[in-house]
Amino acid sequence: MAMISELPDGVDGREPGDGITARAVSRSFGAVHAVEHMDFHAPAGQVTALIGPNGAGKTTLLLMLASLLAPDEGSISVGGLDPVRHRAEVRSRLGWMPDTLGVWESLTAREILTQMSRFYRLPAQGIGRRVAELLERVRLDELADQPARVLSRGQQQRLSLARALIHDPSVLLLDEPASGLDPGSRVELRLMLRQLAAEGKAVVVSSHVLSELDEIADGAVFVNKGRTVRQQTTEQAAAAGRRYAVTASDMAALAAKLAGLGVAFRHEDGRRPAISLVLGGDSDAERLLRDLVLAGVGVTSFAPATGALEETYMSLEGERQ
Amino acid sequence: MSHATKDRQDTGGRTRGGYLAGIRDVVVLELKQRLRSRGWYIMLAIWFALTGLVTWLTWASWNASQAVQRDYPGYVAPPETGPGSMIFEVVLAFVLLFALLVAPALSANAVNGDRAGGTLAILQVTLLQPGQILWGKFFAAWVAALAFLAASTPFLVIGVALGGMTPGHVLVALLMLAVEVGVVCAIGVGISALAGRPLFSIVVTYLAVAGLAVGTLIAFGLGTGLTHGTVMANQAEYRTYEPLREESQQGPIEPEYTCTGPLQEQSAMRTERVAWLLAMNPYVVVADAIPYKDRSQERNYSSVGAIETISQGARYAMAGPEGTFPCANGEVKPRYLAQSTPLWPLGLGLQLLVAALLMWLGWRALRTPARRLARGTRIA
Repeated sequence: MAMISELPDGVDGREPGDGITARAVSRSFGAVHAVEHMDFHAPAGQVTALIGPNGAGKTTLLLMLASLLAPDEGSISVGGLDPVRHRAEVRSRLGWMPDTLGVWESLTAREILTQMSRFYRLPAQGIGRRVAELLERVRLDELADQPARVLSRGQQQRLSLARALIHDPSVLLLDEPASGLDPGSRVELRLMLRQLAAEGKAVVVSSHVLSELDEIADGAVFVNKGRTVRQQTTEQAAAAGRRYAVTASDMAALAAKLAGLGVAFRHEDGRRPAISLVLGGDSDAERLLRDLVLAGVGVTSFAPATGALEETYMSLEGERQ
Repeated sequence: MSHATKDRQDTGGRTRGGYLAGIRDVVVLELKQRLRSRGWYIMLAIWFALTGLVTWLTWASWNASQAVQRDYPGYVAPPETGPGSMIFEVVLAFVLLFALLVAPALSANAVNGDRAGGTLAILQVTLLQPGQILWGKFFAAWVAALAFLAASTPFLVIGVALGGMTPGHVLVALLMLAVEVGVVCAIGVGISALAGRPLFSIVVTYLAVAGLAVGTLIAFGLGTGLTHGTVMANQAEYRTYEPLREESQQGPIEPEYTCTGPLQEQSAMRTERVAWLLAMNPYVVVADAIPYKDRSQERNYSSVGAIETISQGARYAMAGPEGTFPCANGEVKPRYLAQSTPLWPLGLGLQLLVAALLMWLGWRALRTPARRLARGTRIA
């Protein structure tokens, strides 16, 4: 049976030994086809976002990538190794942070990380130092000897991240790592993920919070209804054009000037009156802003209304309907 | 621990030492959590108090019955055995009952409780193998249950201290109780790996325990009705009744009857065909394993304890009509079956078979990457 993939074969001709790759994986649960012929590639040294609506198959794909679930069809390779045949090697390279936090509540953060080191068979004499180092990295060193149940959700999330990092994996799979985090912790998570990618790890992040991913992700894989619908870099997404919101002290003058320039726009019904329009790229934005200011329109704000990835996401949603 | 670096290279410890170390790590993780839960201590305290109460009540009621007997006119004091054997038996039966009730609670949510809490997948994604997780859970549950046995040891020792029993009895009894608790824990852990929800697996494990403790008796009773058969036997002629006299108590009491006449087919229950059901009963296993005196040369059975009665009853069933029907094959049958034909290895073997089967199925359900999932379970 010929398999028809929506994507060209051999995901962009990249090195197969690099990062984590899924080729045409399918997985169904009974009659539900959670994932159908999905392709995915996350290169080393980059943050790759996995984006899709609820029930699109993100978690199922991540479970397969984490070697917990076997694909019905297709293959997965982690650093060039097959998780089924090279179970132990693959697992020592994989770090996985589930969407359910799953914390042993009566243990302290230090004990949890120590236990995990033992489960990964790290050399016994280095465990204490490694644990202390990670606790400091996720800023839990002051709470290290408190039972995990007293930690806040954000702190548990950081502990869960530290747990995924304990064996210094080269591939990091994070399922909704930002959910439930306050803005400060989100910024922190973003910095940390960039840092991990800079260390050469392949970082995979699934999320719905798209505006955030613009700042973190180098590339994105969009999935819907169990299929990969698009794979692009953030630059490609940004170049594809995005919606800008513009406000001015005199909205009528702004509208008149835009009409004069022959730009399609629409009025937004937000709390404050605004005009939104689609611009092709940064140079278009630069030119329009200069024209408006030179024409004497009192521009008070001029900014992208959505993130670049959100724009793609919404356009895909549109295509679907 | 200096070879730990080497361990990491050999693909996740396929060596025996590595495998056992993984089990130990899981046991440590489990026990740390159990030791920090207050419920476990509360249960342990209740257990200790209850066992103490039962011991005291048994002792008090024995004393009371002795006092009543002494007041009875014409009472002849029997050779004194003391309350020891009785306390021992009651406490033993009670401890086994409660162990059977506590063990499922300690084991039957070991795996799917973690699955519900999202912590099972955390273990599965590490270098641990499914067998290490399962064995670790089992040993942790067993150790937690053994603490309850340890708490009841003082009362079994009281049975010895008050006379009639030897330390050997306590040792054998504790050993068999520990094994029985282990069997129940293995059944519980196996079921918990198979079932989706903790509540379901706990109920199923309790039903399995009820099946062993009560179901085997019912099945044996009903099964016996289906074992109508025949046995070749001739007529038994009983000695005429002699009034109880001092000298008649001294002489040999067997044979009670003589066998005469031609062999004829006589209908009998071939209980040996269903005795294996009875053998699986935990009470039978424990009672049959505890040694007791050979009484085949005794006439007075009045001080026979419950343990002995259970054991003898089960052995009668196992021997079947060939061994117990009067004058089967023209031979006189002993009224008392000697200890030389123990039943408990059969029963324990069958129990271990059931436990091993469930553990194996549980192991299959824990393998990753998982191909099949139980309906409605999410792996994370």
